[in-house]
Amino acid sequence: MERSTSAAIDRDEPRLAAGRNLVPGAAIVILLAAALILPQLTPNQFYLHLAILVLFNAIFAISLGLIASVGQISLMHSAFVAAGAYVSALAALDLKIPPILDIVLAGVVTGLVAALLGKILLRLRGVYFVLVTFLTGQVFTLIALNWESVTHGANGLIGIPAISLLGFPLSTRLRFYYFALAAFVLVVTFIWLLMRSQYGRAFRSIAENVRLAESSGIDVSRYQIIAFALGSGIAGAAGAAMIHYVRFLSPDSFTFNDSIAYITMLVVGGRQSMIGGILGALFLTPLPEALRGLAGAQHIVYGAILLGVLLFLPGGLVSIGRGYFHKTSETEPT
Amino acid sequence: MSYSTLLAQAGLNGLVIGAMYMLMAVGFTLVFGIMRVVNFAHGEFYMLGAFAAFFTYVHWEMPFIVCLAIAALTIGILGMLIERTLIQPFRSDEMSGMIATLAISVIIQNGAVLLSGPAPRAMPDIVRGTLAIGPFSFPWSRLLVIAAAALIFIVFWLFMERTRLGRAMRAVAQDTETALIQGIRVNYMYPLAFGISVALAALAGALMGPIFSVSPFIGLTPMLKAFVVVILGGLGSVPGAVVGGLLLGLIESFTATIWGSLVSDILQLLLVILILLVRPSGLLGQREA
Repeated sequence: MERSTSAAIDRDEPRLAAGRNLVPGAAIVILLAAALILPQLTPNQFYLHLAILVLFNAIFAISLGLIASVGQISLMHSAFVAAGAYVSALAALDLKIPPILDIVLAGVVTGLVAALLGKILLRLRGVYFVLVTFLTGQVFTLIALNWESVTHGANGLIGIPAISLLGFPLSTRLRFYYFALAAFVLVVTFIWLLMRSQYGRAFRSIAENVRLAESSGIDVSRYQIIAFALGSGIAGAAGAAMIHYVRFLSPDSFTFNDSIAYITMLVVGGRQSMIGGILGALFLTPLPEALRGLAGAQHIVYGAILLGVLLFLPGGLVSIGRGYFHKTSETEPT
Repeated sequence: MSYSTLLAQAGLNGLVIGAMYMLMAVGFTLVFGIMRVVNFAHGEFYMLGAFAAFFTYVHWEMPFIVCLAIAALTIGILGMLIERTLIQPFRSDEMSGMIATLAISVIIQNGAVLLSGPAPRAMPDIVRGTLAIGPFSFPWSRLLVIAAAALIFIVFWLFMERTRLGRAMRAVAQDTETALIQGIRVNYMYPLAFGISVALAALAGALMGPIFSVSPFIGLTPMLKAFVVVILGGLGSVPGAVVGGLLLGLIESFTATIWGSLVSDILQLLLVILILLVRPSGLLGQREA
C-alpha cells in the first residue's frame, strides 16, 4: 500500500524527484571528472593498473548484481568471464578478427550461451540454482583445461593482441585505463536504465516475492533468463576486454575463487543497489596490495571481511551512508 | 592384466571412493535437512580431518583408531563452535547463510596453507598386504576404508534411529515449529547436527588420507562429489545420500576405467544437471512444499 502511494508521488511530482537527484547527480559529475583528470596528473603505472582492475571488478560485481536482482545467485560468474575471454582471445589469435569486434562477439556468444543454459538451469531456485551453477562452472573449467587443441589446456594462450581503436592501439596503461573507464560508464548506464524500465520493476518484484510476482502475471522465468543472459553476457564482454589488457589467458585466469570474490564485492558493498557492487570493488580490489607482506593472508582477510559484513552490516557499505538519501528497504531476496 | 581383474579393481576402487562420498554426502545432507544450510565449507572439514589424522598418525605415531577418534572429536567440536557463532545468525536467511559458509571455507583453506604450506604430503598405509580371492587380490588398506566407513555409518544410523537425541534431530528436520512445541531444544540441535555432519566429513578425510595425499586443497573434489550425490539422492535425504554415494563411486570408477577420468567427470555433472531438471527433488528426495 505504502509502496504504491510513494510511486504515485514520484510520478506526479517530477520536480521533487529531480531536486532529490541533484546531489547524487553532482557527485557523479565530480567523480567522473576526477576519474578523467587524476591519471593525467599522476601517471603512476601501478595505480593505473589498480584503477583498471577496480573498474573491471566493478563491472563483474554489478553484472552479478543484475543476476542477483532477480533473486538468484550465480556461482559460475567467473566461468562466463573466462568464456568471454577465451572467445575473444581465440577469435583474435586464430581468426585474426580485430580485438574490438572480438569483444562484441564474446559478449554476444556468452550472452547466448547463458540464455540457453538459463532456460534449463533457471527452472531451479534458491540453493538448488546456486549448486547447479557451481557444478556447471566446474564443467567450463574442465573443458578449458582439456580441450587442448583449441584452448592449449593448462599452458594457456599467449601473445593476445592489444585492442586497437581505428588504428590507435591501446597499448599503454593510460590509454587502456580510459577505455576501461568508458566501458564501465557504458555498463553502469545500461544497467541503470534497465533497472528503471519495466524490466527493472519486474526484476525487483521477482526478488521480493517470486510467488506473488508469478501470481500477478509476471513471467518469472522469462525475466530471470533475461537478467541471467544480460548479466553473464556483460561479464563475458568485460572478461574479453580485460584479456586484451592482460594479454595472457589460462584456465587459472578466472576461477571459482573469482566467483567468490565477485560475490564478496557485491555483499560487502551492498546487494540492493548498483552502487554497492561498485563500492565493494573499490574497497576490496586494492586490499590484497595493502596486504602483500602477508602472503596468503589476503584471502583470509577477504573471508573475514565477508563474514563481518554479513553479520554486522547486512546491507553492506552502502547502508552506512544510505539513510541520508533514501530509505533502505530491508527486504532480502528469498 | 585380464579384463575381469580390471573390472574387479574398478569395482573395489568404486566402493572405496563411494564409501567416502557416502560419508561426505550424509553429513552434508543432514545439515541441509535440519538447518536448511548449504555448507560450502564441508570439504574443508574433510581436509582438516585428513590433516588431524596425518599429524596424529605420522608425527605422534598413535594407533589409527585413536587418530580417527581425535579427528572426529576435535573437528566436530570446532564445527559446533562455528555453527553457534557464525552460521546461526543467518537462520532465517538461506542465501546469507550459504555465503557465510563460502567465507568460512576460504578462511579455513587459506589458514591451512598459511600453517602447513601448499605442498601435498604422503601418508603411509595403515595396513599392508592383500586379500586374495581366487584370481583377484584386494589390498587390505582399501578394504579397511570400506569396512570403517560402513561401521561409522551404522553407528550414525543407530544414533539417529534409536536415541532420543537422534529422534529429536529428525523431528527438527521434519518440522521445526512442531519440534519446538514438543519441548525439543532446537537451539541445541543445530550445533549438534552441524558438529556431527563435519565430524563425518573429518572421518572421511582421515580415512582417505593414506589413499590420496594430504594438502590444503584436497577438500574441493569430495565436496563437489557430495553436491553431486545429494542432488542425485535428494537434498536432505540420508538414504538418498547412501545410495547416491555408493552408486556415484561405482559409476565414476567404471567410466573412468573405460573412458578416462575427464569423460567420467563431465558425464557425472551432465547427469546431475539432467536429474535436477527432470526431478529437482532428487531420486529419493521428497518434494518441497
